[in-house]
Amino acid sequence: MKHFKLISVIIILALIAIIIGVQYGGRSKAGIKDDSDAVLNKYTVNFLDVFDTSTDITGFTTSQEEFDKEASVIKEQLTYYNNLYDIYNDYDGIDNIKTINDNAGNEPVKVNSDIIDMLQFGKEMYTLTDGKVNIAMGSVLKIWHEYREEGLNNPEAASVPPLSDLQEAAKHCDINKLIIDKENGTVYLDDADMSLDVGSIAKGYAVQRVLEYCKTKGMDNILFSVGGNIAGLGTRADGENFKIAIQNPDLESANPYIEKVEIADGQCVVSSGDYQRFYEVDGKRYCHIINPDTLFPAESFAGVSVITDDSAKADALSTALFNMTIEEGQAFVEKLDNVEAMWVYHDGTKEYSKNFKDSIIE
Amino acid sequence: MKKNDYYLIIGILLLTGIVVLASNLILRNNSGSAAVAVVTIDGKEYGRFPLDKDVTERIELSDGVYNVISIHDGICEIKEASCRDQICVHHMNVQYDGQTIVCLPNKLVVTIVNSDEDDIDGATH
Repeated sequence: MKHFKLISVIIILALIAIIIGVQYGGRSKAGIKDDSDAVLNKYTVNFLDVFDTSTDITGFTTSQEEFDKEASVIKEQLTYYNNLYDIYNDYDGIDNIKTINDNAGNEPVKVNSDIIDMLQFGKEMYTLTDGKVNIAMGSVLKIWHEYREEGLNNPEAASVPPLSDLQEAAKHCDINKLIIDKENGTVYLDDADMSLDVGSIAKGYAVQRVLEYCKTKGMDNILFSVGGNIAGLGTRADGENFKIAIQNPDLESANPYIEKVEIADGQCVVSSGDYQRFYEVDGKRYCHIINPDTLFPAESFAGVSVITDDSAKADALSTALFNMTIEEGQAFVEKLDNVEAMWVYHDGTKEYSKNFKDSIIE
Repeated sequence: MKKNDYYLIIGILLLTGIVVLASNLILRNNSGSAAVAVVTIDGKEYGRFPLDKDVTERIELSDGVYNVISIHDGICEIKEASCRDQICVHHMNVQYDGQTIVCLPNKLVVTIVNSDEDDIDGATH
């Protein structure tokens, strides 16, 4: 009888423990405890002010106020780089990339070292990608930009720029005429018809710099998503890797995501594709990524995604791979450390670099 | 075992049951069914649409500029829009916490709040 009593009490206690455990487990989904036992909640903010795209910041903090404070620092930083790297707009008291372009063939412009470093990086990427990424190709991209704007505003009259115009403009894309004087802090374009278009690297470069800045400020567990550029500072608050969905280039498909990957601390994912910025002429799609060799939009892939450890590099490499054949791209990725890639064809089939699959989840 | 022991056991079980039921109800009221699509235009809140109430609303921003949002079966989508790129119309349906649909030309953002968590932290565009 005594045994029976003891067992009954134990069973009841166990039952209560299980019920409370289940309840608590369900409830703690909303907040995650960190090492110091503070409950961290997930917050997200979206803004549309920088790099002509949509930005999402996801963070894990103890309160909305704390997150808002971090998010406003990040937004401030991104805006700073946005203004410096802008090729279309002037800003009061700032000499930016547009200022450099406006003074092409005229005189060197004294600029902030954050511009000089980014342009220097652009030159490195030109060398690394054998010219597949060329920030000095503004003259050609400008023509495509005008035709695309025209085509989007007036789809019936959409047309393709004449090859002769593009070839003429291509004579003014020599990256060696981008003259950077580090000592005096000046940049000069030694060709009046030349201009910079840093669209293929500036966003990724800025994200990387802001991420590093946040790190020095002691921030952690933040996911940056600036257009197609995704980069993680630390991990999720529960120590798990950030889980990233790669959008399906086929927007009509029932599957919104073509792949899900996870990124470890310091890794980033960047996708380049022909499915968001493009215009159509006679039913044919012309995207915004222009192959420096053909002077026409690259057509081999619907999208290319790169996973690596530097957002700036990822941005440049995804553009470069988009402009290469699959064979060139595979060989190129093979040569680089810590770079993996996925190519998506227009029919939805995929190719992966050697170790890309290690990052795939599910 | 005495009679009182049984009363105690039944009493504890009942009490636990009530606590479980009550907290479940409170939890459900705080999340799940309370999921809302918040629409902002140029950063200012335009309106809140509960995901459990089917509705189609044409949001007029200015002369001839509009987005049509539709809520049905617990999801939210943009059905139609005046923007030239139509990225928002092609965007996947949203239903999970923090998911957004953005119409950049119209500066309109739909954000899901107070909903269940997805297993995804972010998505490339």
